[in-house]
Amino acid sequence: MRSNMKRKEFIKKSAITLGGALVGPYILPSGRLFARTGAEKAAHVVMVMFAGGVRQQESVLGRYLEDSQGVSGAAGNIMPNLFTGNAPTKKVVYGLDIPGEPKGTDPIPRIVSSPLASQGLVFNEVTAQSAGHYVGLNTLITGSRGIAQGLKVRPKSPTVFEYLRKHRGFAATDCWFLGNGIGNSTPLLNSSDNLDYGLDYGANMFIPPVTFGSFGRTVLSNAKPYSNLELEPMYNMKSFLDQSFALEKSLQTTIKNTDEERTRVKAFIRNTYTKQSLGQIAYPPSGSGGDAVNVAYAGEILKEFKPRMLALNLSQVDGCHSNFTGYLRSLHRADHIVGWLWEFIQSIPEMKDNTIMIVAPECGRNLNPNPILDENDWLAFDHSDRNAMRVWSVMVGKNVPQLSVGDEDNPVGRLTDIVPTIADIFGVYEEVMGSGYIDPLAMSQFLRV
Amino acid sequence: MLSFKPLTIIALITSLLISCTREINVDYGVNDVAIYETKAQKHKAKNEAEYIAILYTNLTQEAISPNLLYQTQNVMYSIGDQNVAKEMLLSNYFNSQNLKIPSDVEMRLNVEQFVIATYKRFLLRLPSEAEKQWFIRYIENNSNVTVEMVYTAFAASDEYGFY
Repeated sequence: MRSNMKRKEFIKKSAITLGGALVGPYILPSGRLFARTGAEKAAHVVMVMFAGGVRQQESVLGRYLEDSQGVSGAAGNIMPNLFTGNAPTKKVVYGLDIPGEPKGTDPIPRIVSSPLASQGLVFNEVTAQSAGHYVGLNTLITGSRGIAQGLKVRPKSPTVFEYLRKHRGFAATDCWFLGNGIGNSTPLLNSSDNLDYGLDYGANMFIPPVTFGSFGRTVLSNAKPYSNLELEPMYNMKSFLDQSFALEKSLQTTIKNTDEERTRVKAFIRNTYTKQSLGQIAYPPSGSGGDAVNVAYAGEILKEFKPRMLALNLSQVDGCHSNFTGYLRSLHRADHIVGWLWEFIQSIPEMKDNTIMIVAPECGRNLNPNPILDENDWLAFDHSDRNAMRVWSVMVGKNVPQLSVGDEDNPVGRLTDIVPTIADIFGVYEEVMGSGYIDPLAMSQFLRV
Repeated sequence: MLSFKPLTIIALITSLLISCTREINVDYGVNDVAIYETKAQKHKAKNEAEYIAILYTNLTQEAISPNLLYQTQNVMYSIGDQNVAKEMLLSNYFNSQNLKIPSDVEMRLNVEQFVIATYKRFLLRLPSEAEKQWFIRYIENNSNVTVEMVYTAFAASDEYGFY
């Protein structure tokens, strides 16, 4: 009898333990049980917010100087890593400088084996929801239309990081945003201030040209490496103080990592300064400026953290406001560093063949130029008209179909589709679409085709 | 007929007599009291510049240079987790020579006084009895706890980010 009771008790406890073990890992930070609506298409997503306002004419349409400066016979593709098409043969100014020859006559060779558009899914004519940078970036990162979104404030709607952390249970170090500068409110894009989501679910962030630039080295590179024995009392005392203060969610000013994650991020910063001093940071061979720095450090983050979701922005193309030649050069280099990034991802065993990369501009540029002439007497372009609402997107990687969708006369898709697409990749499409914050006209690009 | 001058003098004296009132000195007998903040009243977040300038002055007893303030502010702004940024900044300060902080021996000579002084120094308030006892016990029971660790915890705490 006694042994019978023991057996019953044993079976009961075992069942509870087994149930707990099965359910435990799926309890989300939101406190809800995990309810995935679909299978995961890839384990990692890298989104490149490209690259500061890009005209359709010089990018996906491959018209080079024909549609901008009226130079006939000067069409051609200057983005060989992203798009198919032959390079221009007339008035080539966007390449590398060869001593003794006119500036920029040597195009940078393609890095990827074949253009990414031919390897994956390209939407040739997508409708942007804004002609401006910050709202455009907001659109890309929140999937909302960005109506009433102000500058110098965090996104009003939840970011993709918050959706993934809340509904997919990702840790803070699984989600990263890398900005290429601290201007234009860029450092606010790692989290919204939405009370349903917000900083509790925000992403880690660096602005590499600052964090790992001369300022960062001056301010942080002398930081002590503390042992776990030293860190534990600090974290305990801080935790006591924080519990005592009991900060309200509405007053929160920062995203939070766990103590272990924080220790790891600090170690990463210190190690990166060391690698810098030893010249061990890999850079795109022909990249330059903040965009190339951003992509190089994105590579370091990818190697160390293998994040599930990483977004980075590029913006040097925005020089087009006053220098069209500079814009062409920046566009060519932005294409180069995106090709480099894709190859870099393939060099990381955990991410190779298990990653999807999405590239899309945050806004386009005007149809007609402003009156500013550059060194070649070419006119510059701002971004404020209907042409500035015309963009494209390229998606490549695991489970991405090889398709080309839409054209100049047949626009398909919206820029707000990107967040639903990422939600679809990670199997939380219904949760994200049902949040109430996504543009009602948006949908996953996988469903658009 | 009176001349203009005496009339002016009379008017002046009259107006002075009417407008002047006696000053009454009131002494309420209020005692001097040291006033400290309470944590309940802290709801305004310090911005990066305020946090850095106050922290630097707190630890070095000197004002931070505008150039270093600008650089530090930019770096703080460039890191998503402000706790990471603050802890890195603090450990960078603690690796420098110009700090004016008590020694570990001084802390252990009178832990209670140290705890009260640390609350006043960083949080501009007195600790509650529970807070004071927790810290005294924690420091006394953990011989590896240093002033640097206590100061790091206070300077990286949520409360230190508010005023």
